[in-house]
Amino acid sequence: MILITGGAFQGKTAYLHSIRPEIKITDGADCSFNEAASAACITHYHTLIERLISGGIDPVAWTSDLCKRNRGCVVILNEIGSGIIPIEKNERIRRELTGICGCIIASHADSVIRLTCGIPAAIKGDLL
Amino acid sequence: MTILVTGGSKCGKSGFAESLLDNCTEPKIYLATMQPYGDEAHAAIARHREMRKQKGFQTVEQYTDLHQLQLPQHSHVLLECIGNLTANEMFRQDPAPDCADHILRGILHIRQQSESLVIVTNQVGSDGIRYDTETQRYITVIGNVNQRIAEIADAVYECVWDIPVPLKGVIS
Repeated sequence: MILITGGAFQGKTAYLHSIRPEIKITDGADCSFNEAASAACITHYHTLIERLISGGIDPVAWTSDLCKRNRGCVVILNEIGSGIIPIEKNERIRRELTGICGCIIASHADSVIRLTCGIPAAIKGDLL
Repeated sequence: MTILVTGGSKCGKSGFAESLLDNCTEPKIYLATMQPYGDEAHAAIARHREMRKQKGFQTVEQYTDLHQLQLPQHSHVLLECIGNLTANEMFRQDPAPDCADHILRGILHIRQQSESLVIVTNQVGSDGIRYDTETQRYITVIGNVNQRIAEIADAVYECVWDIPVPLKGVIS
């Protein structure tokens, strides 16, 4: 498993394209949950988490399952937790669950690559 | 030895900060700054207490005015966290004229009494949202405090998805 992370618009997808041009990228913002479960790469994973919550599915259990069953998956996940605690309770819950899911994926990943201004840094394992 | 641990929410800051004091002898002090208001705060406190169980920490609660706190000699201290401390100092009845100065004074006082001090803070300025004046002021103060602690720290780490990324210094 590989996790590509960083803030929004830091070049995460472009980085993946540059090293794995052939990979099929499934968009967590609008794919079916089944499609995501077996995808080679899921992008916008933070949006997928939001959609799982809205659909009444526990994103933490779903993510743990993904890590067990789809070990080759490349996950692209935005960092969303470095702001002010949201006033909306549901937003706080979403932020917290996204954090837990991110930690689970990172613990299963051989490499965690963090993009800043288009520059990849391997914060776990090696660059791809 | 002073170590600053920063990062966003739920990224493993607390667990990593605690692990930095794993091999320290007692007294180990957990200096808690979170005021227990509401269910979520109680839940967070319970979760952190569970994590610290068996780790030999004795909890000291001090929500403001760290400069008045006396700790046992040769303490190893985990201060958690600057986000709460800053809010407590800024939004209290009688805030100091310069909150950042006041907070730094307290931290230096704790540091002077400790064998080692690990400080947990928060990254709060990266969501790109323009907030009301008070919240903007909070972001400014915490950013200022973080920079000043980082300056006196021997090591600084940012936790990302449970991975501590070294930003300054290295702890063997």
